Amino acid sequence: MSVGRFLVRRLLLVLPLLLGVLFFTFMLVRLSGQDPTAKIAGPTATAAEIELVRAQLGLDQPLFTQFLIYLGRVVQADLGRSWVSQQPVLQDVLERVPVTLELLLWGVGIGALVGIPVGLRAAFRPDGAFDQISRFVSLLGFSTPTYWLGLVMLLVFFYLLDLAPPGMGRLSLMLSPPPRITGSYLIDGVIAGDLEAAHSAFAQLVLPVLCIAIISAAPIIKQTRAITLEVLASDYIRYARAQGLEPAMIRRMALRNAATPVVTFLGTELTGLVGTTALIEYVFAWGGLGQWGLNAIITGDFAAVQGYVLALALFSVIVFLLVDLAVLLLEPRAGTRA
Amino acid sequence: MATPLLDVRDLHTHFIARNLDNEIRTARALNGVSFSLDGGKILGLVGETGAGKSLTALSVMGLLRPPARVVAGQVLFEGRDLIAMPPEEVNRLRGARMAMVVQSPKSSLDPLSRIGEQLVRVQRAHDPALGQAEATARAVAMLEAVGIPDPQRRARAWPHELSGGMAQRVLIALALVNQPRLLIADEPTTGLDVTVQAQILDLFRELVLANGIGAIIITHDLGVVAHYCDDVAVMFAGTIIEHGPVAAVFGQPAHPYTRALIASTPERLVIGRTRTTGAPPPNLYALPTGCLYRDRCPHAAPDCAEPPPGRAMGAGHIAHCHFAGRLAEHAA
Amino acid sequence: MSTQAGTGAITATAPLRGTPGLGARILRRIRGIARRSPTLAVGAAILLAFAAMALFHPWLMPRDPIAANPTLTLQPPSVEFWFGTDQNGMDVFSRVIYGAIYGFGIAIPAVMVGLSVGVPVGLYTGYRGGMIDEVVMRVFDSFRVFPSIILALAVVSAAGPSLLNVVMVIGLLDSPIFARVVRAEVLALRNGTYVEAAVAAGNPTRRILFVHLLPNAIQGAMAQTAVRAAWAVRISATLAFLGIGIQPPTPEWGAMIRQGAEFMVSGEWWVAVFPGIALILMTLGLNMLGDGLQDLLDPRRKAATR
Repeated sequence: MSVGRFLVRRLLLVLPLLLGVLFFTFMLVRLSGQDPTAKIAGPTATAAEIELVRAQLGLDQPLFTQFLIYLGRVVQADLGRSWVSQQPVLQDVLERVPVTLELLLWGVGIGALVGIPVGLRAAFRPDGAFDQISRFVSLLGFSTPTYWLGLVMLLVFFYLLDLAPPGMGRLSLMLSPPPRITGSYLIDGVIAGDLEAAHSAFAQLVLPVLCIAIISAAPIIKQTRAITLEVLASDYIRYARAQGLEPAMIRRMALRNAATPVVTFLGTELTGLVGTTALIEYVFAWGGLGQWGLNAIITGDFAAVQGYVLALALFSVIVFLLVDLAVLLLEPRAGTRA
Repeated sequence: MATPLLDVRDLHTHFIARNLDNEIRTARALNGVSFSLDGGKILGLVGETGAGKSLTALSVMGLLRPPARVVAGQVLFEGRDLIAMPPEEVNRLRGARMAMVVQSPKSSLDPLSRIGEQLVRVQRAHDPALGQAEATARAVAMLEAVGIPDPQRRARAWPHELSGGMAQRVLIALALVNQPRLLIADEPTTGLDVTVQAQILDLFRELVLANGIGAIIITHDLGVVAHYCDDVAVMFAGTIIEHGPVAAVFGQPAHPYTRALIASTPERLVIGRTRTTGAPPPNLYALPTGCLYRDRCPHAAPDCAEPPPGRAMGAGHIAHCHFAGRLAEHAA
Repeated sequence: MSTQAGTGAITATAPLRGTPGLGARILRRIRGIARRSPTLAVGAAILLAFAAMALFHPWLMPRDPIAANPTLTLQPPSVEFWFGTDQNGMDVFSRVIYGAIYGFGIAIPAVMVGLSVGVPVGLYTGYRGGMIDEVVMRVFDSFRVFPSIILALAVVSAAGPSLLNVVMVIGLLDSPIFARVVRAEVLALRNGTYVEAAVAAGNPTRRILFVHLLPNAIQGAMAQTAVRAAWAVRISATLAFLGIGIQPPTPEWGAMIRQGAEFMVSGEWWVAVFPGIALILMTLGLNMLGDGLQDLLDPRRKAATR
């Protein structure tokens, strides 16, 4: 099957999913039972003004009509306005996406770079000393609260050792950001030749990225180990042994066969780690989508919460699509199976 | 007397593990298996599920994984004891001098390699000096020999594109491409259509005889043994209770278990996946002394508390039963 | 999966040799399990310690966990205040001990909610199959597009951050996991002869589900409970850390970390570090227990000896 047709089919499958997601975000606000009109109209609004806002928002309509109105807005890329920032939600979201992605991708990238080899090594000698230690470390990672780890990192590397800058954003307060190209201060700084800014951006990145890498490595170790063990127990590996192939060759065969499930897992993991990243952003005052979304949830900024949840769902859908594409390239079977 | 190709002597394989009460528990899965095999002969290994047929094959090939291990006995292959041999050396023999065909051909092929590559791989693993071109040519020739049409093109096929029967032919090609002396087929036709089964077995017998290979077919199907094997060994609870030429064993079965097997599988002679006769098999954790079949045997007598001797019933036909040869009067 | 014909009868269990006393037998079983899965044993030991903390807290706490003392704020750990005091002068050690009650108090009911919703759904969809099964599984799948932490936060804050809502939301978010495990087992069981016999005997569906299928299908779900409880502890603490739900100065670990967050960069580390360690240990205990349980129930590893 061609990649084009595959994509079209996948996108068609995504549509009902997105509709469900929109219904969920819509209901999320209804669930609260709170009336956003008062907040939007402001504290000095009269009853008549509140009624007017209600009518503007369509809140006097039946539920289903309200959902259709909401759908119509979303389709026109109107996600409403945040009553905290008074800006369109879409604009708030788009501004912050690269800020969060920078953190997330570095973190998960390093987590995978460490976690995958560790998981593989553990699986090749199950119950050996390395396996036991890595399993314990992985369980410890599962059990460590993200935000607490961030705080301890600041305590150790900023307060005690003075190796890291304070956890206050993406750039030293003394510097002005480089001209925006990618949205990543580090990369933009390098492109603009502003090495001071790039260096500061890098220094700010180290601790939060380290936290995400540690937290993300735990499930990556565990799953890589489990996947590899399953591959090693498969009929074809057993038959490879019966063929007298050398252990190194069998190992290579196992690695190749573990690649697809590991990539698939990394995709699901990436979408889950958006939550971890949000908490890290919150602790390090990162100012990305995650911190913005958490603040929206905490303050009850409903339009922003809807926009945030929707953005996360879209991100997941895109990641799953990319994973499917990667699998299509990795696996001779995928074309017939899809 | 010439050395037989394969001479298995008093092989004992146990599963040794700790249970949840921290006691070491030993399941005595093979209890003194002995048989021998010459080149150009096919031996059928039959018995119900759990009798130790596959375990015998794995023990011979050195493919046991913990907690199973050979605790006693010898496996003399071309006169050399495989049990005493370093594992690396056995590994060099596996796939070269002795080969195996298994029962799940589709899942036993590496899903990420074309079948031609897999055939080349097994050749070059055992002969690093072999050139790519020559190995490829031999791979294609081998595919042709196992009856795969258009072998040149099929060599480029992925395993998932093959039918079960085709995959089994590929497995046979993989097993034979290095011209082994010994070939063990563990239920090679399970899960295949009946017509395909016959084709595969015809091919198997033809190739084995043409190359003077000694072969073992492990099967539930007494019909397969009757049609394709020269000798048969009947297993029960980790021992061979009767073996000999197929015609002799099937014509005059001497052990009550063999008789029960043959009597209970009249039409296609397939031993059911479930137990053949009423009672469960003996508990391998606490095997009784004496004849292991006596709990299920209609002829059990006080003598059976002693280990049964091997009684010669004819040329090469031996039954391990106190009453072998004396049961004819009360035949089932 | 292929079955090795030669090993079929090995799993048969034999009667115990001899008849030692009950106490000795229990001890022996514990030692056996500890040997097979040290992870499980360590996890269980940690949890027992926390259970003791929760049960005997009145005798273990040297001070009232919510007694403020304006003259002794932010005291470092000392002989008198083992874990120091917080900005209200409250004893961090006593507060950490009291926090165990919140850990169990949220995790246990949340897992019960998850089980009582997820298990019936899994039983029913697995047994019935068809459209209902398809739709329910699709809906479950679609929730995977949200990171679970964010989902829990958003729903709790929308539903109103009461303790009851925290428990309900965590339980409901867990239920698909239990449902999936149970459904998978039911799918494997439902064509078994004993189910057919029960249907033929005219048993009503409800009876078949709960009497005939449930006892066999529940094992997988039970193995998940410890890990889900760990998640519940973690999420509820995260909610409290963000100030949703439980508020300081309630002696809940997440809320305590929130209180201590600002002091991490000014040197009064003990306010947030100790409740964090307690939180890690409790989740670690639950995760180790869960990991060990899954290990023990994994048939592939059942016979392994070391």
